[in-house]
Amino acid sequence: MTRILLKNKLDDCIVTWRNAGYSVLAPVKRNEMGSFSEVQKASDMSLDLILPERTIKDRFFPQTEPMIRYKISKQQIDTETMTPPDTKSVCFGVRPCDAAGLEIDDPLFGWDYKDQYWFKRRNNSVIVTITCTASDDFCMCTSVKLSPESTKGSDVMLRPLSNGNGWQVETITERGKALFDSVSVHLSDEKAETAALAQVPVRFNVEQVMEWLANPTSFESQFWKDIALRCIGCGSCTFLCPTCHCFDIQDEGDTYNGIRRKNWDSCSFANFTMHTSGHNPRNTQSTRWRQRIMHKFNYYRGKFGVNSCSGCGRCTRQCPVDMGITETLQAISNLPR
Amino acid sequence: MSEPFEPKIVAFVCTYCTYAGADLAGTSRLKYATNVRIVRLPCTGRISPLFILKALQKGADAVLVSGCHPGDCHFTAGNYHARRRWTVFRALLSFTGIPEERIRFSWISAAEGAKFAELINSITEDTRKLGPFTQYQELQTIIETQSTY
Amino acid sequence: MGIQEQYRSEAASLLSSGEVKLVIGFGAGSTADRRRPLFARTGEEANRFVLDASCIANLSTYLLTEGLLSDGKKVGIFLKPDGIRSINILIAEAQLKPDQVVILGYAIENGQLTALEGRSVADFNGVNEKIRSLALPPAVQQDIERLEAMSPVERFQFWQDQFSKCIKCYACRQACPMCYCRRCIVDVNQPQWVNTSSHTLGNFEWNIVRAFHLAGRCAACGACDRACPVNIPLRLINARMGREVREAFDYFAGESTDQKPVLASFSKDDPETFIL
Repeated sequence: MTRILLKNKLDDCIVTWRNAGYSVLAPVKRNEMGSFSEVQKASDMSLDLILPERTIKDRFFPQTEPMIRYKISKQQIDTETMTPPDTKSVCFGVRPCDAAGLEIDDPLFGWDYKDQYWFKRRNNSVIVTITCTASDDFCMCTSVKLSPESTKGSDVMLRPLSNGNGWQVETITERGKALFDSVSVHLSDEKAETAALAQVPVRFNVEQVMEWLANPTSFESQFWKDIALRCIGCGSCTFLCPTCHCFDIQDEGDTYNGIRRKNWDSCSFANFTMHTSGHNPRNTQSTRWRQRIMHKFNYYRGKFGVNSCSGCGRCTRQCPVDMGITETLQAISNLPR
Repeated sequence: MSEPFEPKIVAFVCTYCTYAGADLAGTSRLKYATNVRIVRLPCTGRISPLFILKALQKGADAVLVSGCHPGDCHFTAGNYHARRRWTVFRALLSFTGIPEERIRFSWISAAEGAKFAELINSITEDTRKLGPFTQYQELQTIIETQSTY
Repeated sequence: MGIQEQYRSEAASLLSSGEVKLVIGFGAGSTADRRRPLFARTGEEANRFVLDASCIANLSTYLLTEGLLSDGKKVGIFLKPDGIRSINILIAEAQLKPDQVVILGYAIENGQLTALEGRSVADFNGVNEKIRSLALPPAVQQDIERLEAMSPVERFQFWQDQFSKCIKCYACRQACPMCYCRRCIVDVNQPQWVNTSSHTLGNFEWNIVRAFHLAGRCAACGACDRACPVNIPLRLINARMGREVREAFDYFAGESTDQKPVLASFSKDDPETFIL
């Protein structure tokens, strides 16, 4: 016997969680964009999206985040550290790739210094993932050794029932168990069949790719110049990526008053590596695209033992010129060797 | 309400005409509202739309842009160029929901001290009626509290 | 012979004869309905060109890739009328030499492709006459009217909702053939006119500045709108600006290669009803 959460009980669960002080976040399609937003009731959610445009990462590492407020007067300099509010949240309806992205980024934000902005939110949230029963031409989780039912980064895994009435509940962590124990009265115990998982084909051989990238001669390969010709140098792939984490610190305000902020930055921008002298070590788009691929499938793994890609496919899905990780890695797998 | 609302108005003016006009208003001992902050520039052609955005960003309730009458520009054509730019910028602001009454344009010559004083008074009165430009100023408050989430 | 085969062989002969060093066209994309920019340097590569009703992108943005045209050689490019229009604007703004471009023109009407006569920029003067007479797409027209019927407060709210989605990935800027500044105003930080952060205020400022810089320069190709990953209806703001320069100054961007940029010129009797 497994526990079942019926769709018509979801509202009761939301109420219980909200009363316990959680804010409930779920994919919401609003103003022609899907993102994780706070919901009051089940009908606010857009759970049938394959993926919302925006990732759950945005909720932990927002595009702009105030860090310090400063005030400088003749007498003194006042600073105030601005930290995220201490609110608990339930992230409901996350896809396995987005959830995995959070876990992939954990070591980055905590390897030498624990980033309080990231971890305060991470420790305060419960990730409730729903397995994928549908996929599109861009999904590639299986190519990076994940799957439509991988539990990486999830606290609870929900599996849609084949009759479409609800989900089978599988708790993974203590935190997830506690969350669903709190709503156990709304769960039913019955036998029910779960819907078939999405079939996501393996689109490239990631081992081959990793091996080629690790070869020192690959760095200067003509391959990069050819593949990056059509890259126009926008940041949409990096900003919609569930694992991209580069940021820039900016002081916004004037000499006397202002806020120091942490803003997303992207390795696709020419300004990303621009030195004050005017020298730019990555002065062509091909070197920037190479950096992105190398970082994800070589450097990051070297440091943290995991590839920095969870296979959501947003980079290709949203690319204005139809580039993306899938195509590049396919091309690498197909290189003559 | 603790204090009555006093509008903040920023005036970007050219030095040859409108600034001289404002000067004349002063030397003629004409009284006009103290709500205006005058920013003097060499020519209306130098007044970038970015200045207007910056004024709004810093909390202006209304903006006045003013220079020489057509044909009177010290640099011959600066105000003609500015006029085209204003036409387009005004339409853009209006389309994005920034009310036309908050961004005003005028020609004031060095001899029109009285016109300057009257215009400042009337813009101040109009803006007082409109109230503070809270919709725009709230964006500033949002960014302080909101880490987006 | 279909237009695709015709243009493949033409591109191949342009390349093999050495008349052009590169042809920019379309190739198959990652899905059945996607086309991606393809760069051919040899006659053989030209055989991979695809040309059908899905080829809607404006490729002219690649012509200003740094260093591409600095050797004085010619480049061939597949262009729809809106692409030709943007080439005209670039030439008028002295960003491009007309004799460096060989145009493989095509038009899409109701899903049907037709080849456009002519190869050099000067051959296409008549095309723009035709675009000028075209009305805005009805959906865009309706949305603009709906917005204009709103009160300023409602309109502000509409754009606030839209711009709050912006993540400042600058896909709109990068996809646009007209955004060729080596250093965009938002990347200038001394002084910092526009908030670089992607909060709603910063997004508002960025989008206003972008739209203003494109006023009277937009070829209405829709590249920015399609590029936006968060679906901000940039087409509305661009179309509104296009209408403004047309109504106020009778100006239609990209009509010819020798027109003066609208905001870099003036007429003594320009309208000024709003000036006190």
